[in-house]
Amino acid sequence: MTAGVVPITDGERKQRIAKAQRLMREQKIAGIFLEAGSSLYYFTGVRWQPSDRLFGLVIPAKGNLAWLVPADDEKRAPAGQDIHLWQDDPFPRLAQMLKDRGIATGTLGIDERARFFVFDGIRRACPALEFTNADVITAGCRMQKSPAELALMQRASDVTIAAYRAGLATLREGMPQNELQNNIHAAYRALGYPGYVSVMYGAYTAFPHGSLTPQKLKLGDFVMIDDGCTVEGYQSDITRTVIFGKPTDRQRQIWTLERKAQDAALAAAKLGAPCEAVDIAARKVIEAAGFGPGYKTPGLPHRTGHGIGLEMHEWTYLVKGNKTPLATGMCFSDEPMIAIYGEFGVRLEDCFYMADDGPHLFSKQSPAIDQPFA
Amino acid sequence: MQIDQDTYPQRIAQVQAAMKEFGLAAVVIEPGAAMQHITGVRWGRSERSFLVVIPAKGAPAFVVPGFEEERAREMTPKGADIRVWQEDESPFERVAQVFQDRAATTGKVGMEESLRFFIFHNLKKAAPKMEYVTAQPALKSAGVNLVEAPRRRP
Repeated sequence: MTAGVVPITDGERKQRIAKAQRLMREQKIAGIFLEAGSSLYYFTGVRWQPSDRLFGLVIPAKGNLAWLVPADDEKRAPAGQDIHLWQDDPFPRLAQMLKDRGIATGTLGIDERARFFVFDGIRRACPALEFTNADVITAGCRMQKSPAELALMQRASDVTIAAYRAGLATLREGMPQNELQNNIHAAYRALGYPGYVSVMYGAYTAFPHGSLTPQKLKLGDFVMIDDGCTVEGYQSDITRTVIFGKPTDRQRQIWTLERKAQDAALAAAKLGAPCEAVDIAARKVIEAAGFGPGYKTPGLPHRTGHGIGLEMHEWTYLVKGNKTPLATGMCFSDEPMIAIYGEFGVRLEDCFYMADDGPHLFSKQSPAIDQPFA
Repeated sequence: MQIDQDTYPQRIAQVQAAMKEFGLAAVVIEPGAAMQHITGVRWGRSERSFLVVIPAKGAPAFVVPGFEEERAREMTPKGADIRVWQEDESPFERVAQVFQDRAATTGKVGMEESLRFFIFHNLKKAAPKMEYVTAQPALKSAGVNLVEAPRRRP
């Protein structure tokens, strides 16, 4: 399924940097420092394995990007860029880079995932600077996706549905969960994209993050599969809960309730509505059936959904207390699970993006307890 | 998963002894090699903070996401002090409460070197009176000297 995929262009990356610089000027941030990771990739297309040898990028509010690169890695540094090599101590070098870009005083945004020793080194080398979380800039750019990003996420979602279809077609009584997992991983490889799946059967479906306990599939078990793949770095995240054999009335009832909660969340996702409204809508359906309340189990023990993009979980979140208004281009998972410990859990997860006319699903919802795909 | 039931209490005591020497009122550690070495707890990092606070005096406390409480109880020693935060609550308020409960209300807090910036940044807001420094010299002196990310050649 690799045909026709259009990677993010250099032109789009330039626009991202321009937006980041505009946000920095608006927020009075002199620049941001990024370690290797998804934000650095977002702005530059450069992937780098973080190690104890510091590699990073300065995006100043004004002017060109500057790269901090270990001298040993000179040959791997991005071509045609402003590269600053360091030998023994990266931090004086970084301080000089910042100074040369007029960042000797004021506020420097630090990558939210920068390790403490990196921040500590910077604050020692730049004692006149103040520091803040760079997420006001990075998330400020990344939260709202462009059409090119949405197309890549659509492809990732399509690939995951295809891999799940292929995998679930192999279900048989007695199948160990790692066999189903291997079958789905093999399907991903055949489709041309790396993917991962977690598999739970029966009572283990109640655990939001699964269990490594070996399980064998029995008639009447729920089968839950969750996770996704990446296309050009962009993620999918889909969960299906499907019955193997004949469902009991209880299983049917809870599955139907879960689907209603998922529908209610989607219906509440209106442009301009606060993110928390989506969580409240899904939780209301589940609580009205006697579960919860709040995060109490049996019920919905976590938020209804997360943002998704270059990270499977990223800003912003469909959670109580989050007043951020829903805006075009934002992408979320819709997954208000029902966990009944000791019995089973049901989670249906599809992701959607906000458009001018409201939410659009990347994947079609599961129509019935024995029909994972529309 | 215990190497020996005394191993981790001994390592925690070593860290606490080093903390006294280096003047740290508490140490905060994210999941990773250091947490595993000192407490035996293995956990994946995500956007949901899971932290262990080791005070200079008294028992460590684990700050864990609410819906992971059961799993956290399985992975931590029996009777461990576990502080739960729900999805709409702040894990950093929980850490600040641990500081209070363990009389670590002034002075220095050591941050394990691989701890992510946003945790430090939010913790500083929740407990602004503390001074946040690297925990590395104290941890190193207690025999915890682990490189988080794999070292590439040479």
